[in-house]
Amino acid sequence: MPRIVRDANVAWEGNLARGHGALTAASSGAFIGLAYSLPSRVGDPEGKTSPEELLAAAHGGCFAMSLAGELTGAGTPPERLDVHCRITMDEVEGRGHLIVGSALEVRANVPGLGEEAFAAALDAADRGCSFSALLRDAGVEIDVTTTLES
Amino acid sequence: MATDRTAKVTWSGSLMDGGGTIEGVGSGAFGPLDVSWSSRAEEPDGKTSPEELIAAAWASCFSMALSAGLARAGTPPERLETAVTVTFQPGEGIVKGAITVVGTVAGVDHAGFAEQAETAKANCPVSKALTGIPEVTLDATLST
Repeated sequence: MPRIVRDANVAWEGNLARGHGALTAASSGAFIGLAYSLPSRVGDPEGKTSPEELLAAAHGGCFAMSLAGELTGAGTPPERLDVHCRITMDEVEGRGHLIVGSALEVRANVPGLGEEAFAAALDAADRGCSFSALLRDAGVEIDVTTTLES
Repeated sequence: MATDRTAKVTWSGSLMDGGGTIEGVGSGAFGPLDVSWSSRAEEPDGKTSPEELIAAAWASCFSMALSAGLARAGTPPERLETAVTVTFQPGEGIVKGAITVVGTVAGVDHAGFAEQAETAKANCPVSKALTGIPEVTLDATLST
């Protein structure tokens, strides 16, 4: 398959503490000019997104697609997958601020799927999600909890 | 203190013919946003994708780190314009990230700006979570 290229743009004005930025999904236009700032990144979001929230959306989306792919390949496409992702950033002594964890909660409604096949699909989905692999490479702890409703 | 941020995604149906939605994020800043395999792997057709969201996370994180470094050096930026391109090779993963930044910064020369940009590229939390990407480029220039 050909390479897939996606772009995003950010304009930032001012210093870190009092400045502010605006970010745009440049390839798709799916969001334009979303505001963000340091206080809303580390404190109360006050309706503003942040790098960590965007990573949560990316990882949730990547994992959901990877799991849908595995279940489809096994002949049991999902009726519905619900994936909740929580990204945690923390200050680590001597290393500054790091993304330390990504917690995925997966609720799956898959007609005809047994627990064993579900476990196998989850395992393959985690290995197949390119973003999971990158996060693990960087030492981010990935925690997947699941519920099968079928 | 740790900071948590959340997102919720749903998916229905097979990978090729089904579709998903980023239902929402903890802050409420965006969503619902539709996603699909074809719009991820082919033309975006107005839909975002994991790679575009990673590009957005990276661009926003890098810009903050660069503004912090410039301010510490006594030359806070007037404006930074950052573009990040993420390249995904199906079957292989994310193979490249390209950061381009144009700064409007009084009191700094090109070499000083480029050095601060290199530091931001190395140290912003999103960069440190993406160290497994085999090729990451940086193009930093001052606007004239």
